[in-house]
Amino acid sequence: MRLKDKVAIVTGGGRGIGRAVCLAFAAEGAKVLVVYRGSKDAAEAVVADITAQGGMAEAEQVDVADPAAAAACVARIAEKWGRVDILVNNAGIIKDGLFIQMDPANWDAVLKTNLGGTFNFCRPCAELMFRQRGGRIINISSVAADRVNRGQANYVASKGAINALTKAMAVELASRGVLINAIAPGFIETDMSEAVRNVAGDTIKKLIPVRRFGKPEDIAKVAVFLASDDSSYVTGQVLTVDGGLSLGAMSA
Amino acid sequence: MTATKEQVFEKVSATLADSLNVEPEEIKLESTLQGDLGAESIDFLDIVFRLERGFGIKIPRDELFPESIFQGDPEFVKDGLVTTAGIEELRQRLPFADIDSFAQDPQYKRLGDLFTVAMITNYVQSKLAK
Repeated sequence: MRLKDKVAIVTGGGRGIGRAVCLAFAAEGAKVLVVYRGSKDAAEAVVADITAQGGMAEAEQVDVADPAAAAACVARIAEKWGRVDILVNNAGIIKDGLFIQMDPANWDAVLKTNLGGTFNFCRPCAELMFRQRGGRIINISSVAADRVNRGQANYVASKGAINALTKAMAVELASRGVLINAIAPGFIETDMSEAVRNVAGDTIKKLIPVRRFGKPEDIAKVAVFLASDDSSYVTGQVLTVDGGLSLGAMSA
Repeated sequence: MTATKEQVFEKVSATLADSLNVEPEEIKLESTLQGDLGAESIDFLDIVFRLERGFGIKIPRDELFPESIFQGDPEFVKDGLVTTAGIEELRQRLPFADIDSFAQDPQYKRLGDLFTVAMITNYVQSKLAK
């Protein structure tokens, strides 16, 4: 077990990639706090799954966009479980629309949740990890940060900023054993990407050299690597996990 | 029982050795944190956390290692030299630093030299006496 007795916080842990990360971490021996905003039943199902396998987990409702709520959540779990070893900032939303028509409220909402939420959980966790001289932060970004799509200016900006934040934090915290990386998933089979996959799935698949959409487990495996001692010399990186999509190969 | 200066120095040295990854023998009262011991900005934060825990004291932000003391104010720094008003400001902000020695050659670029092991030791000792 690569994460035995580690304490992990996973935001957006009830569904999609977050859910797979929670289950994978627990399978490697970590205690997992499943942070959710709206998906109470899903988050509790993740906890039930982990508990049924003999693992330890609990769920907590937090809006990651609320700095005070995030800080309180981190403080509570650090008090209860004694430390925080791993943070996965996975909570994210989309509110797509063409840029010229983009409602400022949709710009704010996406930035506040995706980028703000990452900051809000990183700050208290980074301080704890800095004091305990060790920890791992994994920010879930997107290949869309670099290989942008139309209609996602807010989402793309939030993910690009997450990549930059990852690097900025990495250089400040590395000397105390706190390693910070991002994962940039491609098209993963989650609720978030369902609409796009339904409309343009076959076309997109042709752009993916491995010829399939990713599964949440494909991302979770990389998250386990970044959370474990196996990645002890890796920091400030954005690991693209997209089946080769970002290579930009044309189909022929 | 109040700790003697030697006892405080010994524990401060151990804290710095641990935080900055230097040999305890390298650490003298007059050692400067940046010049002699290689401290970077993030290390100052680590030192504060470690002193707080090691000595059981609370170190308010900006009290031991104030950030940007002069904030580019021309009243305090002129032509690369700290002015008389600047020296007075330093006495207020860094009451445990050796301002008298600095005042003899008040080059702004020497400001970092005020942060010495002696300064930390004096600060901690005063905190413990409270």
